[in-house]
Amino acid sequence: MNSEEKFFATVRTALGQAADGERPAKLFPQLFASPDPRPALARIAARGPAELAELAETLLAAATENRITTYQVSSLAEAEAVVVELVRQTDPEFSHTRHLLCHDHPDIAGLRLWQRFSRESVAVHTSFSQDQQLREKTIAACIGITAPEIAIAETATLVEISGPGRPRSTSLVPSIHVALLRSEKLVADLEEAYALLGQRQQLDSFVFVTGPSKTADIEATLVHGAHGPCELHIILLSEPTLPGDTAHSAQPAESAKQREDTPESTAPPEAG
Amino acid sequence: MNRPSQSNYTREAIKGIASTTLQTNLRSFQERLGQGAMRMWVELADPEKRRRVKASRMRTLDHLDIILASLAEKVRARGGRVYFAETAQDASDYILAVARKNQVKRVVKGKSMTSIEIGVDPVLEAAGIEVVETDLGEYIVQLAGEPPSHIIAPCIHLDRRQIGRLFADQLGIDYSEDPPTLTRAARHALREKLLSAEMGLTGCNLACAETGQISLVSNEGNIRMATTMPPVHVAVMGMERVVATMAEHRETLQLLTRGAVLQKISTYVSFVGGPADTPGETREFHLVIVDNGRSKILADPEFREVLACIRCGACLNICPVYGKIGGHAYASAYCGPIGAVVSPLLEGINKHADLCKGETLCGACKEVCPVENDLPRMLSALRHKLAYGSDQWDTRQMNPAEAFAFRLWRHLVTRPALYRAGLRLAALLQRPFIGKNRMISRMVGPAAGWTDSRDLPPIARQSFAARWRQKHPPTPDVAKKTAENSGEEKV
Repeated sequence: MNSEEKFFATVRTALGQAADGERPAKLFPQLFASPDPRPALARIAARGPAELAELAETLLAAATENRITTYQVSSLAEAEAVVVELVRQTDPEFSHTRHLLCHDHPDIAGLRLWQRFSRESVAVHTSFSQDQQLREKTIAACIGITAPEIAIAETATLVEISGPGRPRSTSLVPSIHVALLRSEKLVADLEEAYALLGQRQQLDSFVFVTGPSKTADIEATLVHGAHGPCELHIILLSEPTLPGDTAHSAQPAESAKQREDTPESTAPPEAG
Repeated sequence: MNRPSQSNYTREAIKGIASTTLQTNLRSFQERLGQGAMRMWVELADPEKRRRVKASRMRTLDHLDIILASLAEKVRARGGRVYFAETAQDASDYILAVARKNQVKRVVKGKSMTSIEIGVDPVLEAAGIEVVETDLGEYIVQLAGEPPSHIIAPCIHLDRRQIGRLFADQLGIDYSEDPPTLTRAARHALREKLLSAEMGLTGCNLACAETGQISLVSNEGNIRMATTMPPVHVAVMGMERVVATMAEHRETLQLLTRGAVLQKISTYVSFVGGPADTPGETREFHLVIVDNGRSKILADPEFREVLACIRCGACLNICPVYGKIGGHAYASAYCGPIGAVVSPLLEGINKHADLCKGETLCGACKEVCPVENDLPRMLSALRHKLAYGSDQWDTRQMNPAEAFAFRLWRHLVTRPALYRAGLRLAALLQRPFIGKNRMISRMVGPAAGWTDSRDLPPIARQSFAARWRQKHPPTPDVAKKTAENSGEEKV
C-alpha cells in the first residue's frame, strides 16, 4: 500500500467504511449535483440595453465604495482618450520609462495605443503568449490593461480569466490596473457569474478582483496599494449600437433611448 | 502573582491582559467586527444560507474520501501534482523535497495557518532556505520574531510605534508611524522578495472538487503574487478544506468573507489548480493535502462538526475570553474559541488542557459562527475527556485530587444532615479569613488562586433554606417531603 492509498484507507475507516472499499464518485451523483443554472443564464441572455444600463449604475455605485475609478465611454476612441490621459499622468513606480502592458484582446488592440504613443517615451507591450521577455515587461510595467469577460455589478467585481495571451500577472504586478469593460459583460451578482463560469468547459485559472489591493494590518488603518495595484480603473464601454446585435435591433425604442443618453455618458471621467 | 507552577496559558494570558495596546486593538476590533457579524446574520436576506452551507459542509465530510479523490484527479488532469500527507512531518518533508529539486533558495509565503500547524518553516530554514512571510501582518510578526495573534489580523498586539521602530531597525528606513508610509516600505521590500523567490507557499481557503481548483482569498495581493510569480507554487491544505461543487463554493465563500470582515467579497478571490499557461509565470503546481490528526476528529461523531469550520475567525471577534487574553495564550496555530477546540484535538487534549477550561461556554462563538458550529458543546466534551479520561483521545484524568474532591462533595450534598453540619463547620473555619470589608480576600492552599483577582463572599450565618423555614413554617406534609428530598437545600 503506498502512502496515498494508506491516506484514503484511514479516511474511509474514520467514516466507518471498509478501508479498501473505494467509493467511486459516479455512484454518488447527488454529491456533485448543483442547482439548475438555466434560470440565471436565461436572465443574463434576456437582458436588454435598459437592464444593462441599470446594472451599469449599480456597478458605478459599488465601484465608488471600493475605491475604483470609473469612466463611462461610448466608443473605443473615447476609451483610448481615457487611457492616454491616464498614462500621461502616471509616474512609474518601479522603472524610469512608462511601460504599458496590454492583454492580447481585440478591444484593447482596437485602442491602437502603440500608434498614440509612437512619438512619446511610452513603451506599449502586448502579452503575447510566445513572448519570452513577458515577465520582464510585466515587472517593468506601470499600467496593465485587461478586458474582463465577466463583471459583477453588485460589488463592482471583475472576473479575470487567464489563458494564452491573457496572463494572470497583468492585473496584478503593474502599479495600476485598467480594465476595459463592455457593458454586455455585466451580470447582476455572484450567482450569475458562477453560472457563466460553469458554462466553460475548460475552466482556467481565474480571479475575482474587487478594487485595488489593500491592507488594514497596522492598527486597522485602511491603506490602498499593498502588494497588488494601488489603483484600479474601470472604463465602462457602452456602445450605442453593435453591428449584428439582435437585442438592440429588436428593441429600437431602447436603442433610441440610449442614444439620447449619449451626451451624459461622454461626460468627463469621474474624479478618482 | 507569578507562581513557578503557572502554566504557559496563564502566563501569556496575564501578559495579554497587561498589554494596553492589545486591549485597545482587540476591543475596537471586536466592537466593529464581532458585533457587526452578529447584526449581519440577523439581517441576512437569506437566513437559510447558513444552514444550507453547514449541511453541505457536513455532507462533504461524510463523503470526504470521494470528494478528495475527485479533487486530486481534476488537479492532476490539469498538470498539477497532488500529495497526500498523513502527518505534519510527511507534509514538510515533501515540501522540502520539492524545494530541493528546484534549487529553491527563497520561499515567499501567503498567509497559511496550516503551514504553521505542520511546522514547515523551520524545516525549510534548517535546510538553508530563506522563508519570507508576505502578508503585511505576518511579515511584521516575522520581523518581530513573534507568533501571529489573530487569524486575520496577525499583528493586532502591536501598535504603529512598535511597528515603526521595527521597520526602522530591520528595513533601514527612517522612523515613521504613518500606516501608509510603513505599508509602502513593506510593499517595496516584499516586491523584491516576491519577484525573486523560486517558490511560493500558500494555504487554501476552499478547494473545489468539481473544477479541481483551490481558491484563495486575500486583500493585499500577496497571495496572488506568491501563486503566480515564483516558478513553483506549493499549496498546503487541511484535508477538510474542500467543497464538492462551485454552487457550494459560492455560498461558502460568501459566508467566509462576511464572517471574517463583513465584506460581501474580498479584494481578490483567486482560483488556481495547475501551472500557469504563460511563460514567466508559475510552471509547477503542487497541492499538499494534510491529515495530521484530522481523520481522528472525523472518526469521532462528537467532534466531526469542528471540521465544518471555514476559518473565518468570527468566533475570535466575539469571544469574551480571547478579547481579553489575546492569541498568544493559545500557543498554537489556531487561537480563540476555534483554537480551543481544534488545537487539543489535533495536538493532544492533555497538551492543551487549559484551553477548553479557559473558555466561558457563553455560547457567543456558536451564534456568530457562519456555519453555526457548536463550539460550546465541544468545549464541554473536551472538559469531560479531561475530567474522566478517555482512551480514544489518550487523556489521563487531569487532576485526580480534584476528582476526589468532587466525589467527596457529591457524598456531602446528597446527605442533608451531613451537609448542614459541614456548612456550620465551614462557617466557623472561615472566620479568620473574613476581612474588614466582610469578604474573604485571601484563601490558602489550592484555593488561593481563586481569590487572586476577586473576593469571595463568606458563608452566611444562616442559610437561605433555614431562613425560608423560619419565615414560612412548613405544614406537616411539606416538612416530611423536604426532609426526604435532600438535594434542595442550597446556601
